[in-house]
Amino acid sequence: MTNRVKTVPRYNKTAKERLYLPAIFEGLKVTAKHLFVNVADINAVETLEYPEEQPTDITERYRGLHRLTHREDGSIRCVACFMCATACPAQCIHIVATERTDGIEEKMPQIFEIDTLECVFCGYCVEACPCDAIRMDTGIFSVTGKRREDFVLTKEQLLAHKSAFGEDTSRA
Amino acid sequence: MSEKVKKMVKITVDDRTIEAEEGAILLQVLLENGFEIPYYCYHEALGPDGNCRMCMVEIEGKKRPQISCDTFVEEGLIVRTDTENIRRVRRGILELQLVNHPVDCPVCDQAGECSLQDYYMEYGLYHGKVPKAEKLHFEKHLDLGRNVMLDQERCVLCKRCVRFTGNIVKTGELGVVERADHSHIATLPGRKLENGYAMNVVDLCPVGALTSKDFRFKQRVWFLTSTPSVCHGCATGCAIYIDHAKTKFEDDTIYRFRPRKNPDINGHFICDEGRLSYKALQENRLREARAESSSIGFEEAAAQMKKMVESWQGRIVVLADANLYIEELEMVQIFANRIGGKLHAPLDAYRDPAFEDAWLKSAMRAANAKGVERLGIDTSMPSSRGEVLLINFNHPAAGDVKARRQIDLLTHRPETFADLTLPIAAWSETSGTLVNEAGIEQRCEQALFPNDPVPTLMTWLEAWDLGERCLV
Repeated sequence: MTNRVKTVPRYNKTAKERLYLPAIFEGLKVTAKHLFVNVADINAVETLEYPEEQPTDITERYRGLHRLTHREDGSIRCVACFMCATACPAQCIHIVATERTDGIEEKMPQIFEIDTLECVFCGYCVEACPCDAIRMDTGIFSVTGKRREDFVLTKEQLLAHKSAFGEDTSRA
Repeated sequence: MSEKVKKMVKITVDDRTIEAEEGAILLQVLLENGFEIPYYCYHEALGPDGNCRMCMVEIEGKKRPQISCDTFVEEGLIVRTDTENIRRVRRGILELQLVNHPVDCPVCDQAGECSLQDYYMEYGLYHGKVPKAEKLHFEKHLDLGRNVMLDQERCVLCKRCVRFTGNIVKTGELGVVERADHSHIATLPGRKLENGYAMNVVDLCPVGALTSKDFRFKQRVWFLTSTPSVCHGCATGCAIYIDHAKTKFEDDTIYRFRPRKNPDINGHFICDEGRLSYKALQENRLREARAESSSIGFEEAAAQMKKMVESWQGRIVVLADANLYIEELEMVQIFANRIGGKLHAPLDAYRDPAFEDAWLKSAMRAANAKGVERLGIDTSMPSSRGEVLLINFNHPAAGDVKARRQIDLLTHRPETFADLTLPIAAWSETSGTLVNEAGIEQRCEQALFPNDPVPTLMTWLEAWDLGERCLV
């Protein structure tokens, strides 16, 4: 056992370090500044009275709820290549591929479901997609439901989501 | 044998000295020694063709890079496989292969096991010089018949499929038509692929031009696990891979069978029936135990079986399926001896002369018929005189035996249930050894691990405490 003990040199040798309190006040500086400012003017406190007040700072880069994009003719862009499902660290994307018969592509998803309870909103699916078929630009940040099943978004729901920032068709 | 003894010579490859047989194909020697040489048209079973030009290597004394599939090993050959010049040459050839390629990997079933993808990542010019709009277009998703889909755009014209139908099955349905960059693979007008080995062209095709209609869009290949096993379609016992996947949303499922190289039995190929036999294997499985028509628990079923066997006063006949592994057959044999039953494994039920052909298909459609004979099991049909208790281990002709009482141990759901029916694991869910027609023993690994596994045959017999006997 003795050879596993390692003696670590102590560094706080100066009087200021040994006093301990200066470091505490240094750390509390920001907190204290906010305390005085907020006590002086209670209306300047940066809080949001959600849900009556909605956030206004959702930008194009915000990763909201997913959507499946459309082609120019309004049909689904996704070709069920499984890249998103492969990249997904939470494995929350369930795809069943099928033959596409309208002549636009060969393949499309028959089932495309995202379990938002398992999704970690990392955006890897969007990064992985070779067809710009899935995006997270809906700006939707909350999902509500009464049962677990309500949180599994189906292909139809994902297709119905609109971009919050215009431009609905995919760029692919 | 009057043949000359093969002469071994020494060659130098990338400063490594290797020993090889004189006159052997250099590409094969390089591949066997672990060198990574890209190639499309060469295949061990089909021989060199020399049309793809990918397998270029530098050979000392030769002015230009040479294709290694058409170079033969001789004493003192000095080969370099990974010089800057070779990489440049390969990149150039690959660029030509990709000129009219549609780059539709997202919808291509070959993606993930595609030589074009692999070599492109290794040597590729990542930005093509031909715009997509200028590419030539051919027929996509053309149904060639026999479960094979052709995409002429994805083809690299290596002609492996043409050589397979021409030289190996000798039906010659496929050919290359037109010239220059208009050339493409096609069948003769009005003809389809019409041989019982057609789906092998799917494995042969190094790119996504020929894909399986059966596997089409079912699963992406990178989710699949390959487990070495043996086809149970007939007594030939072709070596296969079981490609299966257990995804988050589905239980362990077989998606396809692929041939596994075994030079002693099937070479590189399997027949289409065998390849598609995975469907019957996993459809209509029996998963619960039944006493007559009511479902019972496994523990109760085991107790009932023991009670039925022990309380029986008359004759006992045990039937064993000739597809069971030799370990299982031996256990059944010990079991039959223990309970004083007569063991039969009638082989006539498996004879199917219509299936037989001169290549891989055997008329004996039981994988372990030889194993049954080796164990000295009676292969005749049992007579059904008097009061008989029949214990049937998955034999297909059990209905022909008249029995007073019957215990069935089945992998698949029967049409009518016996007095007691117990489910047993199918061959993909357990491991064991098979002896094929020629007497070659092959090991099959357990491929599937279902979420709710059914007991194996061995588990059901544990109640008799027969010991841990095993032939291998």
